[in-house]
Amino acid sequence: MERKQLYWEDVKLGQEIPTSYSLKLDATRMVLQVSGTQDYYQVHHDRDFAHAQGVPDPFFSTGFISAALGRLLTDWIGPEGCLRKFRMEMRRMNLLGDTMTVNGKVTDKYIRDGEHYVEADVWCETDSQGVTTPCKATLILPSRD
Amino acid sequence: MTQEKKKTPEEMLQEAQRMIGNETKPVANQYPVEYEPIRRYCIMVDDDNPMFLDPEYAKKTKHGGVILPPFATFGIMSGGSPAAMARWFDAAETPIMPPAPGKFVVNMAQEWEWSKTVMVGDRLTSKVRLADVYIKPIRLDPKAFWVVVEMIIGNQRGETVCTVRNVLLLHRSPEEVAADQPHKGG
Repeated sequence: MERKQLYWEDVKLGQEIPTSYSLKLDATRMVLQVSGTQDYYQVHHDRDFAHAQGVPDPFFSTGFISAALGRLLTDWIGPEGCLRKFRMEMRRMNLLGDTMTVNGKVTDKYIRDGEHYVEADVWCETDSQGVTTPCKATLILPSRD
Repeated sequence: MTQEKKKTPEEMLQEAQRMIGNETKPVANQYPVEYEPIRRYCIMVDDDNPMFLDPEYAKKTKHGGVILPPFATFGIMSGGSPAAMARWFDAAETPIMPPAPGKFVVNMAQEWEWSKTVMVGDRLTSKVRLADVYIKPIRLDPKAFWVVVEMIIGNQRGETVCTVRNVLLLHRSPEEVAADQPHKGG
């Protein structure tokens, strides 16, 4: 379970985030989603309700998606790294039955006011929808100096 | 018996825009941040990070104890969902959720900014502000309402720990859109 510490000097521009992973969005995952987020809005678990809204199937909630993206980032940056800013756009649905992959790529790194920053594009994609949730993250890492 | 005339989306928008800037009083969470909701939160995405789950490991880190996963802050405060937020706003002394023709809610975008780490045992408070509301058509509803709300979350020391800005889409079902169309004469 122990996590390695990532240092600012070890991050390379353009590198992919190495903690990428996939989850099967099956019915069990949907139940875990409701338990974990305490989000009981029916569009995230009730097929009839989803159809009444004009969407093809129940889709996973923002709280679930941000938790998945949070795992990607916190697994990567280690116990001393921290998230400073994040923007996510829910452009497409992460639907029941899909397989979802979270991934990311480093777009910038710089030092400002003595803090060591990394910028990254991160996203969720599914096998049926492609990229569903494009995001931008600003992280702060410890330095070896 | 006279029936009250149904408001048009444009009339509702005028009413909604007068509410921009409304802000709730800070509301304290009933319970402190606890281990068990964090465990359930992590399990849903197979997250086994000991920073969030293992008190012995976390004690040896710079934080000195288990911390809340960064994105869990919002869910723990609001119940997680736009619908839960809407109920919470309805109960607030200052109305935050504006009137809208559609009752279906989709969260379209979210912006986060963190300034403090949240630990198990912290007592969080939050206040919510209506930042913007406008009409922008979507495929399902030509008069869909877009509502921007900000939640500012603080701790027991009066420090802001994070700000979350949500862009919510409120729309009608296709049947409701059809029913609201003006009847053509002829």
